[in-house]
Amino acid sequence: MERLKKVRNFCIVAHIDHGKSTLADRLIEKTGTLEKRDMQEQLLDSMDLEREKGITIKLTPTRMNYSFEGEDYILNLIDTPGHVDFTYEVSRSLAACEGAILIVDASQGVEAQTLANAYLAIDNNLEILPVINKIDLPSARPEEVKKEIEDVVGVPAMHAPCISAKDGTNIDDVLQMIVKEFPCPKGDDNKPLKCLIFDSYYDNFKGAICLIRVFDGEVRVGDKIKMMQTGKIYDVTEVGVFVPFAKSTEVLSSGDVGYLACSIKTISDVAVGDTVTSAINPTAQPLSGYKKVQPVVFCGIFPVDGAKYNELKESLEKLKLNDASLEFQPEVSQALGYGFRCGFLGLLHLEIITERLEREFNLDIITTAPSVFYHVYKTDGDMLELSNPSSLPSAVEIEYIEEPIVKASIFAPPQYVGAIMELCQEKRGIYKDLSYIDENRVKISYVLPLGEIIYDFFDSLKSRTKGYASFDYEIAGYERSELVKVDILLNGERCDALSIIVHKDKAYTRGRALTEKLKKIIPRQLFEVPIQAAIGGKIIARETISAMRKDVLAKCYGGDITRKRKLLEKQKEGKKRMRKIGSVEIPSEAFMSILKLDGEE
Amino acid sequence: MLGVYIHIPFCQQKCAYCAFASFVTDEKERERYIKKLIFDINNFHLLYPQKRYRKIDTIYIGGGTPSLLSIKQLEKIIQAVKENFNLAEDYEFTIECNPNSIDEEKLKFYKQCGINRLSIGVQSLDDDQLKFAGRLHNGDCAMKAIEMAGKYFDNISCDVLIGLLGMNKDKYIMQIEKLISNGVKHISAYMLQIEKGTLIEKIVKEKRVTLPLDEDCIEVYDRTAKFLAENAFYQYEVSNFAINGYESKHNLKYWTGEEYVGFGLSAHSYLGGKRISCADRLDLYYKDEGEFSEELSNKELIEEHIMLGLRCKIGINKNYLLEKGYDITKNSYLQDFIEKEIIITQKDDNILKLNPQYYGVNNFIITSLLPK
Repeated sequence: MERLKKVRNFCIVAHIDHGKSTLADRLIEKTGTLEKRDMQEQLLDSMDLEREKGITIKLTPTRMNYSFEGEDYILNLIDTPGHVDFTYEVSRSLAACEGAILIVDASQGVEAQTLANAYLAIDNNLEILPVINKIDLPSARPEEVKKEIEDVVGVPAMHAPCISAKDGTNIDDVLQMIVKEFPCPKGDDNKPLKCLIFDSYYDNFKGAICLIRVFDGEVRVGDKIKMMQTGKIYDVTEVGVFVPFAKSTEVLSSGDVGYLACSIKTISDVAVGDTVTSAINPTAQPLSGYKKVQPVVFCGIFPVDGAKYNELKESLEKLKLNDASLEFQPEVSQALGYGFRCGFLGLLHLEIITERLEREFNLDIITTAPSVFYHVYKTDGDMLELSNPSSLPSAVEIEYIEEPIVKASIFAPPQYVGAIMELCQEKRGIYKDLSYIDENRVKISYVLPLGEIIYDFFDSLKSRTKGYASFDYEIAGYERSELVKVDILLNGERCDALSIIVHKDKAYTRGRALTEKLKKIIPRQLFEVPIQAAIGGKIIARETISAMRKDVLAKCYGGDITRKRKLLEKQKEGKKRMRKIGSVEIPSEAFMSILKLDGEE
Repeated sequence: MLGVYIHIPFCQQKCAYCAFASFVTDEKERERYIKKLIFDINNFHLLYPQKRYRKIDTIYIGGGTPSLLSIKQLEKIIQAVKENFNLAEDYEFTIECNPNSIDEEKLKFYKQCGINRLSIGVQSLDDDQLKFAGRLHNGDCAMKAIEMAGKYFDNISCDVLIGLLGMNKDKYIMQIEKLISNGVKHISAYMLQIEKGTLIEKIVKEKRVTLPLDEDCIEVYDRTAKFLAENAFYQYEVSNFAINGYESKHNLKYWTGEEYVGFGLSAHSYLGGKRISCADRLDLYYKDEGEFSEELSNKELIEEHIMLGLRCKIGINKNYLLEKGYDITKNSYLQDFIEKEIIITQKDDNILKLNPQYYGVNNFIITSLLPK
C-alpha cells in the first residue's frame, strides 16, 4: 500500500538522563508540529512529577509531519520511560513500532538500561538507530561511544548521527535517518480491524481512552468494536491522533498510531495489551500482545482517615487506568484498619504512585514497609505465596521459605569496583562476573535477593559511586533462604503493620535499628511505652519511651478561652494523623520509617 | 449572676514574660483611658438592657498594674460601676496589685470602697529570679506588702511563677510555705510560658539562658500541689489553690460558662452565648474599632465545656454534653482513661473529672476527649 510507505512508527529508548525527552521535543519543534512559543520544556512529560523528577513515566505518542526529498511523511513517535522500574512500559511501546532510536550519551557511553532497552528492541524485531547525544559537552567522546555501541550492544553505529538535542544540533540528520532506516508499517486496510491497545488514560468527559496502533483495517466513529480479551462491545465515539494534543480525525487506518474513545465507563474494561477488532467482522487471531509483567514490590496503603477508604479505592482505580502495572487488593490491618495491598514494578514506581495519591487526589495515606513476594513451604506440604509479613504462618508450620532473586548488572568506572562489591556483599549478593567494556568502564554482575535491593540499594549505589554507576536487573526466579519475621511490640502489643521479613543474620541489627527509629518518631504518651523487636517469642531489642510529663499548663481566663480552644482544635487535627495501637498513639510516618533504616545502620 | 472585669493596661515596666495588653505610659494617656472606660461602663445597659445584666456579684480589676491607679482615678471607676450595677450582698471584689505599688493609704482606700480581695503579683521571693522576670520588687518588698495587706484584708491571693531562671526545687516549696504562713489564702501557681514577642522569648532563642527543664517544672508543680494539699489548700483549677471558701468566684465564672462583661483594652465578655473582645490596640479601642465577636456554636460550647471542665475540680457534665449533641461515652479514649483512673467518674457517672495527678498533661487528655 502506497500510503503506508509514508508512515514511520518509532520510539526512543535510552538510559535514564541520556536525553530522550529533549530529543523528542526537538523533533516536534523541527517538524513544525508545534510553534516554538507553544513549546514547554520537555513537552511530553506532562505530569508535574515527571518534570520534577526529570523522568518519563507515561508513554506519550505524537504525530509529526515531515517532508523529505519532496515527499510528505507521517512520523509517529512514542516516548518511553527510561527508569529500570518501567522496562515493562518500554516493551509495550515497542510492540507498536517498527523502529527504535537508541540514544547514548556522548560522554557516559553505554549504560545498564542502554543495553537492557536495546535488547528489548532487538527481541521485538525493531530496527535500531543509534544516536549519539550531548556532543556539546566538553567530555563528549562520540567516536569511542560509537565503538562501544558496536562492541557492547552489537549494532552498527559508525553512521549514527551525532547530535546535541539541547542545542538542536544535527536534528535533521535524525529525521532523515528515521525515514531512510526505519521500515514502513505493514498492514491491510481491507482486512478486518486489528489494533493493539498499548496504553490508556482516563478522560473525565470521554471516559477511558485507548491508545492504539492499528495493524490491519480501519476504525471510524460509529463503528462497533470488540475488545478481544474482555469480549465487551462498544460504539466508537471518537478517533484521533496526538499532535501532540489529542485531535479528532475521521478515521484511523492500518499503520496509524492514535486514540480511540467509546464511552468506556468501567476502568477495568480496558486491558492494556488487548486487541481491538470489529464486532461485525472480527479478525480471527488476536495480536500476541506482550507478556504481562508482574509487580515485584508490594506494600500496604491505608488512608490516614479511615473514612476515606472509598476515596482511596477510587483513586487507585483511576491511577490503574493509566498504569496497567499497578495492582491492588483490599487488606485489613489490625493497626491500620481497611486499606490495600499494592503491587509495583519497583521502588520508584511505588514512590510515584504514593506521591500521586497525595498530590493529585489530595489523600493522606499511610504506606507500610515495602516487601517482596515470598514462597512459603509449609510442613503440611502446602505452599503459600505472600508479600505481607503479617500473613506469615508461625515458625513451626514453616518448612522453608524461598525469596525472589535478581540478576543485576552494574556499570561503573573501575575505581568503584571495590565499593560496589562491598555493597553487594552487604546485600547478600553472590558475585558472578566482572568484565571491562573499555578502560573506563566495567560491568559487574551479581545475583542478589530482590528483598535487599528494594531497601535503598539505588541510593547507596549512587552515593558510593558518586553517581557514576548505573544499574539494571531482571528477575531470576526463587531461592531458598533463611528468613525470619521480626515483629514490633508496642507496650507489649504486636503491631502487624510494622512487621518485617528479613534474613536471620540481619534480624538483630534491623530489629535494633527499628526500635531506635521508632523511639525517635513516637511522641511521649501518658505512660512509659516499651518498644520491642521480637522473633517469635524471643525479644531481640528493646527501647523505652518515657512518659509524657508536661503538656502545656497555660493560664486560661476570659481572654484566653477562644484562643486556647482554637489551639486545641488544631492539636486535635494533628491527632487525626495518629494511629492508636492499643493505648499507644503512633504518627503515620512511623510506618514508613522502616524504609529509611539501612542508611543509619 | 454577671461578673464585671475591668482592665487597666498600665505598668511601670513591662515584665520579661508578659504578652498581655499592657504598657508603660504617661499620666495624660491614663486619664484619657479612664474616661473612655467610664464611658463604656455608663453605656453598657443601652447595649444590653436585659434585666439580668443589672445585678452583679463579682468585680475584678486586672491588668497591667491596677495598683498604679491613683485613689482618685480608682474612685471614679468604682463609682461608675456602682452607679450602673447592683452589687449582690455576698459579692467578691478583687484588685490586682504589685508589691511595690501599694501603700497603707491605698490599702485603706481599697477597703473603704468595698474591695474585699487582693491578688498580689509576687511571682517569686528570690531576688535573682525576680530580676530575671523584669519585676520591680524583691523578695523582702513582697513579704512586706503581704504583711501590710494582711492588716486590712483577709482574702489575699498570690501569683507565683514556676520555671523562672535558676529555680530551685527545695527553695520553691519554702517560699510557698512562707507565703501561706503569712496569711495568704489563695495561690495561683503558673508555669512560665514563653510567649511570642516577649523579652524572654528573645533571650531563650538567642540561647543566652537555659531555663529549667520541663521535668523539673512538673516536679515543682506536683510538689507545690502536694504541699498545699497538706496545708488545707485544695486545687480547684490546674493552677489555682485555695483554702475552702477562698476560691476566686470571679475566675470560676470563666471556667463554668457563666456570663461576664469586660471593660477596657482587650477585655473579653461572654454575654448571651456570644464571646466579645475589645480591641487590643489603644488607637482602635478609642475609636470602638477592632472588636471581635463570636457566637458559640454547639460544637464550640462542647469543646469549651470539656476544655475548661477538665481543668477544674468541678469536672464535666455528661448530660450537658449530650444535650449539646455529643455522646462522650462513645469516645474511643474515655474507657481507657477511666480504667487507668486518669478520669474519675462521680454522681452516677454523670460527672467526669480529671485526676489531679494528670493536670500536668491535661492538654493531651482534653484533645483526646474532644469530639472528632
